[in-house]
Amino acid sequence: MTIGSPGYRPQDERVSRRWFLRRMAWVSAAAGAGGVLAGVPRQVRGRADLLGPPPRVPDAWLAGAPRQVEDPTTLTMSESMTLTRSGELDPADLVRAYVDRIEALDGVYQAYADRPGRDALIAELDALPADERRSPLRGMCLVAKDNFYTSDLLTEGGSLVFENFRPDYEATAVTRMRAAGGLIAGKGQMGNLAGGRARRYGTLIPTTRNAWSPDDERYSPGGSSSGSATAVAARLAVAGLGTQTGGSVTGPGNAQGLTCVKPTFGRVSLYGVIPLSYTRDHVGVMARDARDAAILLQVVAGPDPNDPRTLGLPDPPDYVRAATPFPGGRPRVRWSTRVGIWPGYFADENERVNELRRAFVGQLESNGGVEIVGELSLPDQWEELTAEPLGGSHGDPTAFFIEHLRRDVRNFADRLPRFLNGMLQSADTYVRVQQARNLLLDRIVSQLFGQCDVALTTATGPFDGTGLPLMCMPIGLDDDPETGSRVPRGVVMAARPFGEERLLDVAAAYQAVTGFHRMRPDDPA
Amino acid sequence: MQVPTPPAPPSDEELNAYIRTRYALLGIDISVLPESDPEAPMDQARLLENARSILRQDVVAADFEIDPQHHLPVPHPAPFSAWTRPAPGS
Repeated sequence: MTIGSPGYRPQDERVSRRWFLRRMAWVSAAAGAGGVLAGVPRQVRGRADLLGPPPRVPDAWLAGAPRQVEDPTTLTMSESMTLTRSGELDPADLVRAYVDRIEALDGVYQAYADRPGRDALIAELDALPADERRSPLRGMCLVAKDNFYTSDLLTEGGSLVFENFRPDYEATAVTRMRAAGGLIAGKGQMGNLAGGRARRYGTLIPTTRNAWSPDDERYSPGGSSSGSATAVAARLAVAGLGTQTGGSVTGPGNAQGLTCVKPTFGRVSLYGVIPLSYTRDHVGVMARDARDAAILLQVVAGPDPNDPRTLGLPDPPDYVRAATPFPGGRPRVRWSTRVGIWPGYFADENERVNELRRAFVGQLESNGGVEIVGELSLPDQWEELTAEPLGGSHGDPTAFFIEHLRRDVRNFADRLPRFLNGMLQSADTYVRVQQARNLLLDRIVSQLFGQCDVALTTATGPFDGTGLPLMCMPIGLDDDPETGSRVPRGVVMAARPFGEERLLDVAAAYQAVTGFHRMRPDDPA
Repeated sequence: MQVPTPPAPPSDEELNAYIRTRYALLGIDISVLPESDPEAPMDQARLLENARSILRQDVVAADFEIDPQHHLPVPHPAPFSAWTRPAPGS
């Protein structure tokens, strides 16, 4: 049954809560046991085996509407795909337009850590199959955070620890983007070993600029997927990949006016991604609107024999359809959705943020099918379960890095404690943390999502820790009090396991009647 | 029989000695870091302070009551569930 079928219900309503809880318990146990995940057989597969059904992307414009092609880098990915498919835009021209901007402006933005040359990108484009159905992302310039393995580009993880590292294979998510015809325009600079904003390796000196404040380094691009966010916002890439263990996609996404999805744990393979936590890492998609996020998620989601966390899950549904609002008339969501509001949601210290949030909730409520259920009651023992130590993950990062720690601890710079602490956290505490994590997941699913289908939240940590899906998008502009820069503000929405369809549905209905996702920052002075 | 009494909590100095010993046991040398330099990306003083807090958090975790019958991170379903569904192309 597909989305258009009568009686179709989104995936978050069809997956058994008990099944998901048992599965997450298994992930905790596998990580604690150490060798279980490592024992999974690795299978070498071709690109075609990894690529699921190509995303079916409808035309981005209604028939007869004017199509803008003056500067193709201003287009969204779905718009670019529409024009390349119709022959109105040559994919090679699209690639050249992006490379022109990268060569002219990345000296200021410092979004990329490593990137291929112009000729290499064009050659990769020319080598794609002629059949459009096999290369739906033909000509799309994408960015991958620098913790995704790439065999043709350096993978340094924003750190001296991996300086000059060139893997001999590439991450599954990168392979999937390339298999769909996408081009890797470069590797996005990132916070040191996936923490904080991007900096010069081994120092506290910032590098990547926020696309909305390129001439003032004080305004953070967000971390740790800093370069991916700047590349997409500054039109040096049309969309891209980040990773999130603790807010590292939604943080920079909101800091730069992007629409991003951090999907359910296991939805996208982490094979070939420098690990931080085996139980909390996620691949996230970073884009300019909900439909673009859906397209990229459709491409990278799905089972991977090299990552057992992705196996045994329900098939990815049609995300692109979920992110395509009903045409005409009053905007409405596809599925009736109860939206709950986080305690203190309208009590931010920045009154402009509260004003934007009130307007956002008002717009959501005016969309058909959305019911605002009011302020949420947080699950029992929320503070204990989400604060240190039970809400943390100190035991996770150490094991992978022992040899690097022995070589020279100075290479870890400001992130050293995060990687040394694992050898101090006792095994009994680690087990208790995993137990508490399962208890928290149980209560979020039963108690929090007993009140609503989507939560407007100010806290991402509990959802990252329990593997639940998140989505962010812009809701307006504000003046940063420190730098005076005009910058975007955004929101984060959370849902049940496999609630990506519902999040995309709510975001697409909102973006159908608002223009914040179409805001583009000015180029550097 | 003598009734056990809770020992006094370890001091910072005792914990520092434990931490340095633990690192040394695994062959990790933190003496290459400056002892105390707030301008440096990391120094020994900050590292040890952070490590002491991690150790003391063990007490909080141990005191948290949880139902071991319902929230064990046990391997159920068995890890072999990863193989119950074929990957595409297999």
